[in-house]
Parts: sequence; structure tokens; C-alpha cells
Amino acid sequence: MKFRYALETLATIAIVAFSGIFLYTSSTMGGAEFAGSDNVGSGLIAELSGIPLENFQPLIPQWKPPSGEIESCLFALQAAVGGAMVGGVFGFWMGSQKKA
Amino acid sequence: MHIMEGFLPLQWCIVWWIIALPCLILGLYQLKKVLAADRETLPLLGVTGGFIFILSSLKLPSVTGSCSHPTGTGLSTISFGPWITSVVCAIVLLFQSLFLAHGGLSVLGANIVSMGIVGPIVGYAVYRMLRDTSVNVYLTVFLVTALADMFTYVTTSLELALAYPAETGGFVSSFVLFMGIFAVTQIPLAIVEGIVLALVFKYIVVLKPDILIRLKIFSEEKINAARDDAS
Repeated sequence: MKFRYALETLATIAIVAFSGIFLYTSSTMGGAEFAGSDNVGSGLIAELSGIPLENFQPLIPQWKPPSGEIESCLFALQAAVGGAMVGGVFGFWMGSQKKA
Repeated sequence: MHIMEGFLPLQWCIVWWIIALPCLILGLYQLKKVLAADRETLPLLGVTGGFIFILSSLKLPSVTGSCSHPTGTGLSTISFGPWITSVVCAIVLLFQSLFLAHGGLSVLGANIVSMGIVGPIVGYAVYRMLRDTSVNVYLTVFLVTALADMFTYVTTSLELALAYPAETGGFVSSFVLFMGIFAVTQIPLAIVEGIVLALVFKYIVVLKPDILIRLKIFSEEKINAARDDAS
């Protein structure tokens, strides 16, 4: 790599391109619901096995987030834990580098 | 890549749990050894594990009109190998099955095998192949991350195809169908994830090169070359 911010530039281009492709597909694909691929996979399981989707019951009883709001709250919590770990360590490394 | 609770027959749940458990035990044992040998590995574990937490919570839209999430296992795989990575993944997947209804306790074994074991093993194999060649470290990180991500989803397709072979065409045609859902959606995500984690690795190289050299993750010459590239 010859110039300093090559990776930063590349990452920005990749993310912008990714978002651009998303905007394009979401506006041109009429039937796209952007459901989770987990659920699409479950749909295919029902199709292949010939068992209706409702008949798949948890083998071990499971708590479900009562609403999408609560689910997104818990997902944000998971990301926040990860973010705290990453930020904390990078901060620690930067601080100890300055001291040295 | 989550197989939903109840969507895998009991015998397959047991099979994947039996495969997952020894890997987790080996991972815990290695983790204890690594941390006891050098306390300074703990921050590195924090960063690499942190990215598994962050990236696996981001459900991103893809070209197929459905959403999927990256796995973030690449950095941890390079730094600590697949077994320790499987322990971190098991923690994330346990959280998601207990509180988010993504995956579940019976299918946890299968989900650990795809995200925490097979994906990282493929990534680790790529890393070992490229480590002592002249291939740039950032390119190595990109390839390891992208392939670990891709093969996680290939494994999920495999697990489901084994449990649900199609009536006509059997396992193979069922595998192709599941690959169409999981793997195709994942291609753009894997590429973006690979680039982002290569960028993160650059910051580790700049800030803490000594830990990478001490753990023999890359040779000193390669880390120095990578530092020159970055500045």
C-alpha cells in the first residue's frame, strides 16, 4: 500500500457501495421484505419437510422478546457490550503508548 | 446463520452438541493457559471478542432482499485460533438464544459448530497457509475474515440439508436450495466485513505491535512491513 489511508478509503468505498446497492435493490425489488435469512431458511424447511411452519415447536421452552422494540433493545445492548470492550481496550493501548 | 429453535430434529441437535462440546472444552482449557501465561493477552481478547459481539448483532440487508449478519470471528481466529473463538461465539449465541429467540438451547450446538468452529477452522487454515508467505498481512486478515464468515453460512446450509434432504435430489438439491438463501445473501456482507476487520487490524498493528509479535501471530518482519504500510 503506497498511501497512508488506503484501508480507510477502501472501507468507506465498500460501505458506501453496500448502502448504494441496498437502496437500489430495495427500490427496484417489489417483493423484497428484508426479513432475516433465518426466517427465510425456516420457510424452506417447512417447504422441504411438508410440515406447516406453525407445527415447529421449540424442543426446549424459550423466552421470546414480547415485541420488536424489546428485541432491538437487547440487540443494542449486545452491540454496546462489544463496543465498550473494543473502545476500552483501544483507549487503554493509546494511553499506555503515550505514557511510554 | 441461526437455525431456529425447534427446526432441527432432536437426533441432529444431539449430533452437533456432541461435536461442539469437546471443542468448547479445549477452547476453555487453551483460554486459561493463554491468560495465565501472559496477562497482556486479555486486552487483545477483549478487542477481538468485542468485534464478535458487535458484528453478530448487526443484521444487514443484502442483495437477495433478506437480512443477515456478519460473524466477526476473523480477528479472534487469527489471534487465538478456532477453539478459543468457539468459546466467545458460544457466549454470544447463548445470549441470543436466551434473550432474543435467535437460535435456541437445543440448536445451540449446531449454531456453535457453524459460527464458532467450522468458520474459524477454515479461516485458521487460510491464515496458516498465508502466514509464512510474502502475502500482505492486511490481505491475509481480509481473506481469513471473509472466508470464516462465508463458511459459517455454508455450514448452516449443510446442517439443514443433512436434516432435511429434498424428496427429489436428496441432500444435494436441498443443500443447493439452502445455499441459495444463506450463502448468496452473505457474499456482499463477507466482503465488507473482511475490509472492515482488516482496517481494525491495522489499528492493532499501529497501537500494539509487540503483542502480535510476542504471541507469534505474525513474524516481526511482517509486522514491521505492515507498520510501514500503515504510516
